[in-house]
Amino acid sequence: MFGQYYDTFRCEVGDILVETEQIDGLLTYRRRCEGRAFKRILVSETARIIINPVEPVNLPKEVTDFLQMEFTPIVIEPGAARTIYLKFPVEIGVFLESEKGIEVLDVFGTGTQKYALYGSPTSGVIVRWYRSAVYSEIPQVERFSEGVMELSIQNASHEWVEVSSVVFDSVDMKIYYGDIVATTATMKIVSPVMAETDFIDSPPIPGMARSIELYKARKIPVLDRGYLMEWGLS
Amino acid sequence: MTFNVTGILETPTGIGTITVSDVLWFVVIIAVGVAIAKIVSINVRRALAERLPKNERELIAKVIYYIIVIWAVIVALPYLNINLSGLLVAGGIAGLVIGFASQSVVSNLVSGLFLMFEHPIKIGDSINVAGVSGSVEDIRILSTIVKTYDGIYTRIPNEKVFTSNITNYVHNAARRFEYSISIRYEDDANEAIRLTKEVIEAHPFALKNPAPSVFVDNLGDDCLNLTARIWAPTQNWWDVRTELLWDIVKKLEENGIEMPYPQRTVWFADDLRVTGGKGEEESRI
Repeated sequence: MFGQYYDTFRCEVGDILVETEQIDGLLTYRRRCEGRAFKRILVSETARIIINPVEPVNLPKEVTDFLQMEFTPIVIEPGAARTIYLKFPVEIGVFLESEKGIEVLDVFGTGTQKYALYGSPTSGVIVRWYRSAVYSEIPQVERFSEGVMELSIQNASHEWVEVSSVVFDSVDMKIYYGDIVATTATMKIVSPVMAETDFIDSPPIPGMARSIELYKARKIPVLDRGYLMEWGLS
Repeated sequence: MTFNVTGILETPTGIGTITVSDVLWFVVIIAVGVAIAKIVSINVRRALAERLPKNERELIAKVIYYIIVIWAVIVALPYLNINLSGLLVAGGIAGLVIGFASQSVVSNLVSGLFLMFEHPIKIGDSINVAGVSGSVEDIRILSTIVKTYDGIYTRIPNEKVFTSNITNYVHNAARRFEYSISIRYEDDANEAIRLTKEVIEAHPFALKNPAPSVFVDNLGDDCLNLTARIWAPTQNWWDVRTELLWDIVKKLEENGIEMPYPQRTVWFADDLRVTGGKGEEESRI
């Protein structure tokens, strides 16, 4: 399903159907996913459609840019570093591309979503919440609902630290797709309650294609600034 | 008859040495300045449309607008023989007079500037201020415009906004709401709590953390009263609040837990005799 399409096409994978067809002389985009449908008439000379995984913070509607992954607690000794693999939720973006730019047409996904508050109600942030097991190597995933995050954790503090969650600013997220959807991230623990997180522009498996990010399609200028977790690591 | 334009333009207006052309120049410069200010501020709004929140966008657009207008006034004033340095000298006395005369205007102006920079409220926020509840439509130099929840335009002077207690319902990232759910005494309260938590868990915007709490709050006359406390993102807490209650009620009813009817157990000191029917049979209860 992921890739580029021209003019009319039809993709049906499991419970997901994405297609464009000519209806009464009008190019029509239609999507059906888990009983939810979406339809738009397209007026485009190039009619180039790109489908790829996007930052998982848009469903059921966009309320935040932050993604929190909760996992089995890990205790890390001072100065230690370890790479682990987590599963993250996948949302699928459909883009319209022309010579003058890219426009987001549709975002959909399978499964349910859950949100949480990271920090205090007064100064914390709303996050898309997802629980994952911890894997020592790339796990098996459902390609259209889960992705694999390669997370390098480094304890740069001088104390033993227990970590059971990581929060990212998704506008920095770089997503790759091939046989699986994947991303690479880092977590540098600076104290038992603070850590810096960021995404790395490099696929965990060589040769994967890079997704178009939503913030790029929406022309939102961002600095790759990472995120400072200052409300605890669990 | 010849029409001498130059002559007309050079005609004195009777106020010092100011001529008609000076007045025209003044008007043209001000008009051009206001036009440029409008064009620039509109384009700034457009350029920042998707990059900045509406409140900051409006603030920047307004600051740019007023800077250009003030610049136009400064450029135009010499055409009316108004020397700005002279104004500064005269400003001491004039300022005192104007200050007393326009005390409320200046007070509103200063309050407006403080509101813009202190940010207790932003455009789009749901607030309650000076007894008015609604969403902030605009924060202007002299007044704040609030659209009440039933769609009524309300203008509140900035001084009143600034000196009143402001309740901003959307200032924090999340807010809590609660339901009171009544069940019959014969129903299993633990099961009702489990089912209620299950419904809350299934809603994407009923926040995972802080965790929702559901508990038996009190023993009513006719029912057990459960309380459910749920946190939701501030921007869509109302949607969550309106959606969840009916889902909880449906789930409880599907599992045989029903809302109670008011009941009274009545005890009589003596036996009751009931009469009625054919032959007026008499029975005792």
